[in-house]
Amino acid sequence: MKHVNWKFALAVLVLVFILLYPWLGASSYTKHLFILFFIWSIVAANWNLMMGYAGINSLGNIGFMAIGGYTAGILAKSLGVPPFLTIPIAGIVTSAVVTLALGLPALRLSGIYIALLTLIFADTLPSLLTQTREITGGAMGLHEIPPFYPGMDKTGAYYICFVFFLVVLFIIYRIVHSPTGMAFVALRDSENFAYCLGVNKFRERLKVFALSSLLTGAAGGMYVHALGDISPTTLGIEPFLLTIAMIELGGVGTFLGPILGAAVIVFGNEFLRLAGTLRLTLLGALICTIILFYPGGVIQLFHTIEHRVERLLNRKTPTT
Amino acid sequence: MENLVNALVSGLISGSLYATMALGLTIIYGVSRVFNFGHGVIAVIGAYITWYLLSVFGVPFLPATLLSLAFMASFGWLVYRFTMSPLLKKPNWEFSTVLFMLGAGILLENVVLQVFGPRVKSIPVLVDGALKVGFIQINWHEVALMGIVLVVIAALSLFFKYTRTGQAMRAVAQSIPGAQVVGINIEQIFGLTFALAFTVTGFSGILLGTKYYLNPHVGWEWMVKGFVIVTFGGLGSTSGAVVAALVLGLVEAVATLYFGAIWVWPIWFVLFLIVLLLRPQGILGGRT
Amino acid sequence: MLTVRELDCFYSDLQVLRGVSLDVGEGEVVALFGPNGHGKSTLLKAICGLQPPKRGSIRFKGEEIAGLPAHQIVERGLAYIPEERHLFSDMTVLENLYLGAYPRHARPVLKKNLEFVFHIFPRLAERRHQLCSTLSGGEARMVAIGRGLMSETSLLMVDEPSIGLSPGMKMAVFDAIRQIHCERGMTILIVEQEIQHALEMSDRIYLIKKGQIAFERRREEVQVDEIERAYF
Repeated sequence: MKHVNWKFALAVLVLVFILLYPWLGASSYTKHLFILFFIWSIVAANWNLMMGYAGINSLGNIGFMAIGGYTAGILAKSLGVPPFLTIPIAGIVTSAVVTLALGLPALRLSGIYIALLTLIFADTLPSLLTQTREITGGAMGLHEIPPFYPGMDKTGAYYICFVFFLVVLFIIYRIVHSPTGMAFVALRDSENFAYCLGVNKFRERLKVFALSSLLTGAAGGMYVHALGDISPTTLGIEPFLLTIAMIELGGVGTFLGPILGAAVIVFGNEFLRLAGTLRLTLLGALICTIILFYPGGVIQLFHTIEHRVERLLNRKTPTT
Repeated sequence: MENLVNALVSGLISGSLYATMALGLTIIYGVSRVFNFGHGVIAVIGAYITWYLLSVFGVPFLPATLLSLAFMASFGWLVYRFTMSPLLKKPNWEFSTVLFMLGAGILLENVVLQVFGPRVKSIPVLVDGALKVGFIQINWHEVALMGIVLVVIAALSLFFKYTRTGQAMRAVAQSIPGAQVVGINIEQIFGLTFALAFTVTGFSGILLGTKYYLNPHVGWEWMVKGFVIVTFGGLGSTSGAVVAALVLGLVEAVATLYFGAIWVWPIWFVLFLIVLLLRPQGILGGRT
Repeated sequence: MLTVRELDCFYSDLQVLRGVSLDVGEGEVVALFGPNGHGKSTLLKAICGLQPPKRGSIRFKGEEIAGLPAHQIVERGLAYIPEERHLFSDMTVLENLYLGAYPRHARPVLKKNLEFVFHIFPRLAERRHQLCSTLSGGEARMVAIGRGLMSETSLLMVDEPSIGLSPGMKMAVFDAIRQIHCERGMTILIVEQEIQHALEMSDRIYLIKKGQIAFERRREEVQVDEIERAYF
């Protein structure tokens, strides 16, 4: 039980630090990075919920986020809908569109078809955006999207995104530890056994798909209100790769993995900028290296260290 | 009418080029169940090497192509031996290979970008001039391309039917334990399959490079078309891929004629959805 | 010909075989009995390389083969006919049989072996151009056995050849195995649930229970009911 407590203490310490950080001399730039971290870790955590827990091999989650972002942006900018409405609407619209157009057909099929279908879906979105230039701004994107409240500064956006981050992570934590989450662990470990328990794979996966796309779409809404703009570059290869790298780096199929991965990637990406045009080369190499040599990610590294420390402690205390 | 016929002819030509693009994908999937998400950049590499030999060293077309294909074959074998082989032995290999090849695709794409620069290249056409039959006009080059594609497809099907290695590849595709029981070396066949598929893919890149433009990023577009085609034709089926490529080439040409090029992608996507919903095993595929 | 010593085999953490030792002499027919799920098939799979053992030794013709990949074991002249058959279902009967002769040493004698297979199973000669997915269960079993014979083998390991077949078909399969032994002097290791029939054709039997050899007997020393009793 001891190690659970120190982990919990560490988590609380980190959260308190994040809570107090704006008063600890944070620059506008570092606050901006934290906002990015909050939003991307939600996207990554939801993607991981699909991929690592439910075994839905989706490659289109950035597309889900873009749908949410554009929905919220258009509603707020063209129709003047207030943010506390645009964000839930963004989530619901994303979930409805994506679940109907992708989830229902794809989830009945085997893994590789889901990957194909979601990738092609995300690939179709930029041409749709160009088609609907009058509403979406085409290649230019949407700019000057209203913030969460008039006259919002970085600190305000920081706290709103932080609260959102906490709420979504709490929801994901509950799902992972709910009967649905258990059902998935059962499915992952032994499909036949899970069938014997009466787990309906299609229905459970559809539920996760709907919820996960809802939260991802809402994260898209948060993104546009916090940062003020969105363009088809969001759908480019780089955000896609960065998010995949977050999940793989942190540890697929673990609760904390994608969050740790998001922290490393968001703050590390700033160093990566120094590499200039080599950035994507390094990113590709990073993903390949992790998958090939360290499939468990950072989380596994922690577990290994913890194990070693425990063994060391056990050796010192004589067994009775 | 004239426009329509010309569109259909050009649809057949691009369809046959798409077929070679899809073949490499479906060969790897059929035998090893690895779905190569780095497929596009493999084609681009094959094309770039040929371009480099042609325009920098002045090597004639045929030896340049052969050299480039020899490189592709060894590259395919190396990729299998040092990355896919260890990944296939782990649980969740189905998706880890997908992510790995995606990452490798980006890596290689940017290596190509660093080495050759972002400027658009093109491989010179094989033959000049055009063939005119009534109002139909086809470039001799495109006639040559179609001829080459037909030869490639015929050669591949003979290979799979009559050679020891080709039969072993089909055997592995149908039952891995069965193949082990008759004494087929699975590792060796997987390695050779990657070598063969990379060669075919590199060759398709060369052909596409003579008809369309070439830049480090164009592989993604080719690859996604290849994805739709192999799903349409049934994953792992080579004849299905050829038929699907021709059908989609024609659809693309007609759609461009009547609705404009911008609608090509959404139409491919909708067709893809319809096939997945009605016949997930593809139009010619036997199993899911 | 085959000497297995102290073999331990695991499925992930579960130990399936515990210190199994077994011998098969040249020209012998040895039957392996035992309740379902007690390690009979695992033993055959361990010998032929499909399920590499964790510990122990397997010597075939004096050579250590434990842990070798399956294809190298086939090349040494040991054929395994899996219970699940594992045919190449989108190929014809003939293509399946040709693939049986995949090992290099089997190529020169392909014609002779094919004639022998068609001699034993005339039905396969009639259906040689039929796809394997369209065969009946008994015919598919014949293709599986035929494919094993094509590899120019000196030891044939047959896993439950009669399972799921009609009584008439069962007899045909047992007759064929007997014929293979008589006409070719083939050494055979057979796993079977039809105790009576398998006992009649074998020289010795082993009974495997809970992953261990419970007893070994010559045919003359054992009765069917003694084996049946040992199952419970």
